[in-house]
Amino acid sequence: MPDPTAAAFELTHRPVLVPVALTSPCIALLPLPEGTVIQILGPAARVEDVCAITDATGFSLRGNGPGQWFAVGDEPDKFAELAATLPDGFTAIDQSHGRVRIAIEGESVGEVLAKGTGVDLALFETGRAATTLIGHVATHLARISDDRFELLVTRSFAENVWDDLKIMAAEYLGVSHE
Amino acid sequence: MSSYRLSAGGLIDRATSLSFTFDGRDYAGHDGDTLASALLANGRRLVGRSFKYHRPRGIVAAGSAEPNALVTIGRGGRTEPNTRATMQELYAGLEARSQNRWPSLDFDLGSLNGLFSPFLGAGFYYKTFMWPGALWEKLYEPLIRRAAGLGQATREADPDRYEKTWAHCDLLVVGSGPAGLTAALTAGRAGLRVILADEQFAFGGSLLSESARIDGMAAPDYAARCVEELRSLPSVRLLSRTTVIGWYDSNVFGAVERAQKHVAMPKGHRPLERFWRIAAKHALLATGAEERPLLFGGNDIPGVMLAGAMRSYLNRYGVAPGRRVAIATTNDSGYALARDLERAGVDLVAIIDSRTQPTISYHGRARVMSGARVTDARGGKSLSGLTVAVGGRSETLAVDALAMAGGFSPIIHLACHRGGKPVWAEEKHAFLAPQDLDGVTLAGSVTGAAGIAACLADGAAQARTVAAALGKKAAHIRADVEDDVVAAPQPPLFSLSGVKGKAFVDFQNDVHVADLGLAVREGFGHVELAKRYTTTGMATDQGKLSNANAISLLAQAHGVSPAEVGTTTFRPFYTPVSFGALTGAARGKHFQPVRKSPLHEWAAKNGAVFVEAGLWYRSSWFPRTGETGWRESVDREVLTVRAAAGLCDVSTLGKIEISGRDAATFLDRVYCNGFAKLPVGKARYGLMLREDGMIYDDGTTSRLSENRYFMTTTTAYAAGVMSHLEFCAQVLWPDLDVQMASVTDQWAQLAIAGPQSRAILQKIVDEELSEEAFGFLAAREVSLFGGRLNGLLFRISFSGELAYELAVPAGYGESVADALMAVGEAHGICAYGVEALNVLRIEKGFVTHSEINGTVTPADIGLGRMVSRTKTDFIGKAMLAREGLSDPVRLKLVGVMPLDPAASFQPGSHILREGEEATLENDQGYATSAGYSPHLKSTIGLALVVGGAERHGEQVMIWNNLRQQYTPGRICDPVFLSAAKGGQGA
Repeated sequence: MPDPTAAAFELTHRPVLVPVALTSPCIALLPLPEGTVIQILGPAARVEDVCAITDATGFSLRGNGPGQWFAVGDEPDKFAELAATLPDGFTAIDQSHGRVRIAIEGESVGEVLAKGTGVDLALFETGRAATTLIGHVATHLARISDDRFELLVTRSFAENVWDDLKIMAAEYLGVSHE
Repeated sequence: MSSYRLSAGGLIDRATSLSFTFDGRDYAGHDGDTLASALLANGRRLVGRSFKYHRPRGIVAAGSAEPNALVTIGRGGRTEPNTRATMQELYAGLEARSQNRWPSLDFDLGSLNGLFSPFLGAGFYYKTFMWPGALWEKLYEPLIRRAAGLGQATREADPDRYEKTWAHCDLLVVGSGPAGLTAALTAGRAGLRVILADEQFAFGGSLLSESARIDGMAAPDYAARCVEELRSLPSVRLLSRTTVIGWYDSNVFGAVERAQKHVAMPKGHRPLERFWRIAAKHALLATGAEERPLLFGGNDIPGVMLAGAMRSYLNRYGVAPGRRVAIATTNDSGYALARDLERAGVDLVAIIDSRTQPTISYHGRARVMSGARVTDARGGKSLSGLTVAVGGRSETLAVDALAMAGGFSPIIHLACHRGGKPVWAEEKHAFLAPQDLDGVTLAGSVTGAAGIAACLADGAAQARTVAAALGKKAAHIRADVEDDVVAAPQPPLFSLSGVKGKAFVDFQNDVHVADLGLAVREGFGHVELAKRYTTTGMATDQGKLSNANAISLLAQAHGVSPAEVGTTTFRPFYTPVSFGALTGAARGKHFQPVRKSPLHEWAAKNGAVFVEAGLWYRSSWFPRTGETGWRESVDREVLTVRAAAGLCDVSTLGKIEISGRDAATFLDRVYCNGFAKLPVGKARYGLMLREDGMIYDDGTTSRLSENRYFMTTTTAYAAGVMSHLEFCAQVLWPDLDVQMASVTDQWAQLAIAGPQSRAILQKIVDEELSEEAFGFLAAREVSLFGGRLNGLLFRISFSGELAYELAVPAGYGESVADALMAVGEAHGICAYGVEALNVLRIEKGFVTHSEINGTVTPADIGLGRMVSRTKTDFIGKAMLAREGLSDPVRLKLVGVMPLDPAASFQPGSHILREGEEATLENDQGYATSAGYSPHLKSTIGLALVVGGAERHGEQVMIWNNLRQQYTPGRICDPVFLSAAKGGQGA
């Protein structure tokens, strides 16, 4: 039976990254809101089923290997809503707190990311996603548009990846953030 | 008599004046100069001392092969020794110092070594400093290192940044001389993604030093026009100051860009050097050829240089090599230099041509001495004269500069980096790259082609072939060349008769002709042995100038063709690479990734001392004011947990969600104990074995619903267990319907342990937590804070107390921990770290990976009864039945304590029978864990010992050979504290 002090306790969510963007005319590093991230597992052949549901619920869907996807959105606490609509054969796992999203955009985005990932970004069309390395850390990379990418990193490494991105972008930000 | 700047000409900006210092003296040069050209322009020809004999040395080359002009650049943390003056761009304020001399470059006492040179030949050190062996490290080596050497590295930290980056292309063109330029243009015009890399700061390669005219314009202008067009092509990337240093698997090339080595004060937000990894569908090597020095006495005297280098200084930098110049040549290339020297108004005294019938028609004023060769040069620190053998007699010439045109060796290093051996081409008198390389083509003089027109055409043609293979059609490029000197390859010149002085083969390592002869006579004639015996080709230039001559000398000594001698192995890197470039950004706190728990900030504000556990930072203990040492804090935390309650961050444990219709079957197969019958809402401790029957990992798995499980692993094996499970699901049992996902990062996990833990938790958990409602091993989703948050609650214990683990969404972890500390304050709660956790679990005899170290079976640690006898199969079952695993002499888990409670021992200490000698033959086992128990007021430990439980009570000696400690002790039950009040072991 909850203690009165506990009931009155102010429960706060602490984002792992300070929500302050770093920008210059040619590059921007943006910590994204810790909204909803859902890992979906299921038969690879039924990708259309997953697309239909994420489209209907307003999530953005990114591939993560055969039969694995991430559905992401800016709004928090949307796990139950999507999970309830998934058809049989699919499993949804809430990773809203386990993965942190970072956007990187601007005309120099390719040069900055090339310092971390070996993926050939010129052949990595909008809509594609892959798990790669940024520095030493496994990172899920998705191309959102011509000059915008989103990174999905595990929470425990998020600060580290953010620090690495600052170093990678330093010459385009025009300042050293070390 | 010395070198000087011409009044006109060259690709330098005479309007600029860049001041610099060399050995403290002020000089000035121009934009477009290298340090080498600026020194020569200032009449400074003596720039270094040789490695062994401290001989005066000058500038021999104009590019990256320079063996002599090694200087130290910069000061403080930016000190860079062994910089090739020929590769260092001049900038205002550059500070350069000569090396390997004392007290000064002009007066170097080390040059006395030269007087002892008859004793200092090849193998001298091996033969001389053999006995007594003890003196080597203390006396001989330090002395030799002082006397012989290069520049000194700074001991200060490097203040600049380095980085690594990737690039991808259809065609990588290495080298921007005539072949490289037309290749890049051809491919770029066809729409291929092209990267053109050149180690110089300006593109154009040999064209920048060329006086021939191409398409009616000066060669450098032609190069500039090509570069301008390349810059306009969107699919072409130009990398200057970038040396491609290695060819690796998957057609990836390594390259180092000297991004800010040409400025006095590098900008902090840009890297000093950038290491490129270039993944190329195809590469075209237009790396050119290196000129060979000639062998004669005193061929190392300042003022003697390669003919091509002299031409570079003359045409590109507007520097005359001297007032009276001679050219010694074996082929027509020397005549191109003769033409240019005379055009520039430099007094050319003689052309000393080794051929009796020169093939080129020469109309200049200089005397041509046919069938002649230089036997000796004179001059000490600056060339003053030559002795020439001509027509059976000797003649002396007074000259202050001599050019050596000894023919060319193609620069095939990159082509041989993946194991291909160079092939001797008799008609070219040179080693060429192996044929039919996968993903690599060569073009231009690197193939032995001679003349500008041939190189321009070859680059374009090879690029067309590459484009066609990649599905693109490319147009021809044609260029007309005037005054092209096409030097047909000639055999190297190897008569050494009449030579009196030292004829150097390897300038940097002071290897002369006689050393190679000695190597052959003493049985080290094989090219790989000769290299090591004489050190030829082993200096920082890796024999770029010397190898061709060394191989020819060995061939001559053996009476065979150079084809039979072969070459030593070409390995990356082509030129020296700084540690900074290899390290990139991974230095200091970025050396390795930092992994932080969602409770990191909570622990920090509660004063935690952190310990690195893999990449994780875990809270180790929480010191309080007045506590004087870590032990005091840990003792308090241990006592508080057993008397009241404690809160510990266990978020780093691996957490895996497993679901699917066959999840239960799957778990039954990966664990040695049963999971199929685990009721929903319950947790169970599981042991995972390897196929060989040894324990792989342990942890609890809870059944959250019929087909949904929550597994925890140890921190260390979290990633390994996840991979193992994926392997099992995908490879061993693809027929099972099972999915898994790592949720380690999703949850902040808090252990709340101690007799007050229930009361404290009850204040934030909405559900009833009584023994009846939430008994031992209960595991359920719970509502918290009046329905404001959901978490997972497990009634499990790693301390043997009444204890729970609460998992909450990671973003709320800190807030929930704050709440528990607040509501727990009245119950005496404290934060505790992994040190206290370790003591708590040892007191109860619970194992970690210290005990399950890959050598133990469940029975070895007293958990044999956990292994299912009824399951048809599980990983490890078959091998667990090996008879060796039930051998009575296997090490088994016991407790161990010192007889004297004030004594202690370290994990890793060995156990000996009382009174037995300390030998490995008498070894009875070893301690796996140890810690101080404030309850027992004694160090306690766990150990793996022969006989195990049979030996409880036996007195033993605990032996630490590293610290030479002997601690009398007693073997005991591993459970030091018997069943705790109200709590049950996990």
